[in-house]
Amino acid sequence: MKDTIKKNRPVWLSKFLFLLSILGPGLITASADNDAPGIATYSVAGATYGYKLIWVILVITIGEVVILEMAARMGAVTGKGTADLIRERFGVKISTLAMLLLIIANLATTIAQFAGVAAAGELFGISRYISVPIAAVVMTFIVLKAEYKYVERVLLVLCLASLSYVVAVFTVKPDWAAIGQALIRPQIELTGDFLVTMLAVIGTTITPWAIYYLQASVADRGVDMKEYKYTRLDVSFGSAWGNVISAFILIVTAATLYVNGVAVNDAKDAAMALQPLAGEASSILFSVGLLGASLLAVSVLPLATTYAFCEAYGFERGLNRKVKEAPVFYGMLIAIMAISSLVVLIPNAPLFQMMILSQTLNAMLLPVLLILVLKLANSREIMGKYTNSKLTNILAIGITLLIVVVTIALFFEPLLNKIF
Amino acid sequence: MIYLSNLLNQKVWDSFGHVVGHVDDILVSHTDQAMPPIDAILLKKSKGDLRLIKGELIATLWPTIALSVDQRELTNYEPHGHELHLKQRVLDQQIVDTEGKRLVRVNDVVIARKNQQFLVTGVDVGVRGLLRRLGLDTAAKFLAKTFNFKLTSQIIAWEDVASIEHDDPLRLKVSQERLVQMEPVDIAAILDDLDHHTSKALLQGFDDEILADTLEQSSFEVQQAVLAAMDPERAADVLEEMDPDEAADLLAELDDERSEQLLSLMEDEDEIEIRQLLAYPENSAGGIMTTEFAWVPGEFNVEQALNHLRTSEEAKEDEFMYYLYILDNEERLEGVVSLRDLVTAPLEKPLQDWADDDVVHVEPLTHQNETAYLVAKYDLMAIPVIDPETHKMLGIVTVDDALDTVLPTAWKKRIPRFAGK
Repeated sequence: MKDTIKKNRPVWLSKFLFLLSILGPGLITASADNDAPGIATYSVAGATYGYKLIWVILVITIGEVVILEMAARMGAVTGKGTADLIRERFGVKISTLAMLLLIIANLATTIAQFAGVAAAGELFGISRYISVPIAAVVMTFIVLKAEYKYVERVLLVLCLASLSYVVAVFTVKPDWAAIGQALIRPQIELTGDFLVTMLAVIGTTITPWAIYYLQASVADRGVDMKEYKYTRLDVSFGSAWGNVISAFILIVTAATLYVNGVAVNDAKDAAMALQPLAGEASSILFSVGLLGASLLAVSVLPLATTYAFCEAYGFERGLNRKVKEAPVFYGMLIAIMAISSLVVLIPNAPLFQMMILSQTLNAMLLPVLLILVLKLANSREIMGKYTNSKLTNILAIGITLLIVVVTIALFFEPLLNKIF
Repeated sequence: MIYLSNLLNQKVWDSFGHVVGHVDDILVSHTDQAMPPIDAILLKKSKGDLRLIKGELIATLWPTIALSVDQRELTNYEPHGHELHLKQRVLDQQIVDTEGKRLVRVNDVVIARKNQQFLVTGVDVGVRGLLRRLGLDTAAKFLAKTFNFKLTSQIIAWEDVASIEHDDPLRLKVSQERLVQMEPVDIAAILDDLDHHTSKALLQGFDDEILADTLEQSSFEVQQAVLAAMDPERAADVLEEMDPDEAADLLAELDDERSEQLLSLMEDEDEIEIRQLLAYPENSAGGIMTTEFAWVPGEFNVEQALNHLRTSEEAKEDEFMYYLYILDNEERLEGVVSLRDLVTAPLEKPLQDWADDDVVHVEPLTHQNETAYLVAKYDLMAIPVIDPETHKMLGIVTVDDALDTVLPTAWKKRIPRFAGK
């Protein structure tokens, strides 16, 4: 029965279906750029600085493709995860440092996701003391018990709300000439706020967890080097697509809020960017997108962190283990959920600032991981003949340096301003 | 107890108190022994060049590493290529703990002295080993003392360690011999957690029968990867060893060309059996039945039946034997007797006494759920499958296969490992 269906398929369809089956991890990873802190960051960047930061998105799109390609290639060649390779290559101390940074970054990002849930709820006057605990409990249950694929699909559909920015671009009629200008002539302001926002834009796009997650899923799928070219396509396409949406969010907010001098301090302000498109419904649209993005990330992030930790230290792991067999795995998973949701419940915690600062922190911690990944991807012993090309190395080192320089500039910003 | 992490990068002294170099790695070769002796130390000299010296020259390892000879009398160790580098290949790597049946990461290697020899006795996989590597051992001991809890080391004896690297055939063989002491289902669970290059290499070294048993318990991804890597003749041999229903499931998932090729390479008897199974839909009794079951002709008595089970080649191949089916000349089911009843009955009792026109059974196209329902309702270990037209008995559906819908035995296959899968 199955055979006849297979045989009657036209060739192009088989090819297309094959392509779809391979496309996946890269697309999912890169779409996750536009999680709650991502939406917040691009909205604030657009509303505060107009088109000024759009060149950063262009630069980090290239950076993201290069870095995620390395991770995917390592996964395909070695069949192992990033945490595995770091531990096996660099030993306990370095791997503990990398793990510490990953946990801090992911905890901050998970907190930011719950902040996203709170912000989405508050748009409708739902207190965060109601929305966040419910979200935490429900998502913990889903991660532990539910059919993951089904949940993932529902959440992906909710995330489609961020597509409304793509449509909105054509209703708000942005100043394309100015956008072109901003792309060709990169600008930097030597102010703390600007540098923080710039790092947040970088940090929300290139994340440590995306590197770990992508490599693990490529390794898990058993992609070999013959099929690898499709994975590379998936990664490049996914990154480009994720960043096009990011750019559109920035453009729409710049064309609506920046032009009118509206600063974004909370979700209500950010949602106004969608008013030309959706009118009164803009709040609904914005909060649905925010909620979907937050919950999708919450369903993946704590789990990915826990897996990486247990892999690096050899603790038993996996949702098919019993709690007694894998106490560290379950303990950590639940602790991440609990801690990150509780932080958001601190009275008057500024949600939007938390979302953005978490991404700035992400960016600051990233260089250490990038250096380790670069070393691994250049090791002949690990990668055989699939070590990095020169171009990959130049681009990846360039991105790493950019982050380091901006981070240093941020810390010495008061000093620098005195000198210049 | 001496730990490898305490030795690495330490100074090595000769008998006159000269520093001859620093420890870069330690080599052992007889990894199949319960406690392999240290064969050589890889020394890093001051200029960065490396030198292998014989393990027999070691006088002490702890607290200082001293040799029993003067530095001018140092003899080089001649490597034969099968040595295991403890730092490079064991420390920080994953190994299988065959006693605990799990995959763990090596935090340290334990060395002990016995009759003037230094032996590798085990690996430390516990938190304590981790703390020692991080230089927090004293702090941990202090905390343990102040708060009065016990710091336990988790050390696995070397004979229970199966290293899983796959680049040295000799050591691979040692690992395989240790792995096959475990149950196939445990092997499969561990292989599922391993990266696919390693699991492939390990599986291919097993003999056909163990490989078949392990594959039956593995996820489809592992099954497919292993079959794809083998030459077709071997793959066909392994499929013959698998339960026909499991082999049919696997073949159904492969692409047509490949499964056709493998089928044609199999022995005719197995090929026909599997082709029959492939013809039934996956969720029908025919799709999940096995064609191997124990049967005897109706004219036998208990003694003849027992003798038949003991001696016939065919009966030996039946892995699942809780019932003995009584068939007539046309392979039609006349009755069924449980092994318990058979064993406790008098030897001269004719099997006809158990004849029954109305044995609970299903047809090949009966839905899996209905089959499971009947098995559960009548408390059966297996239910016969009977062709509705010829009334021939085709096979049995065993309780575990029937309940697969409710409680999947191969449940690992359905749980995403890292969310993305």
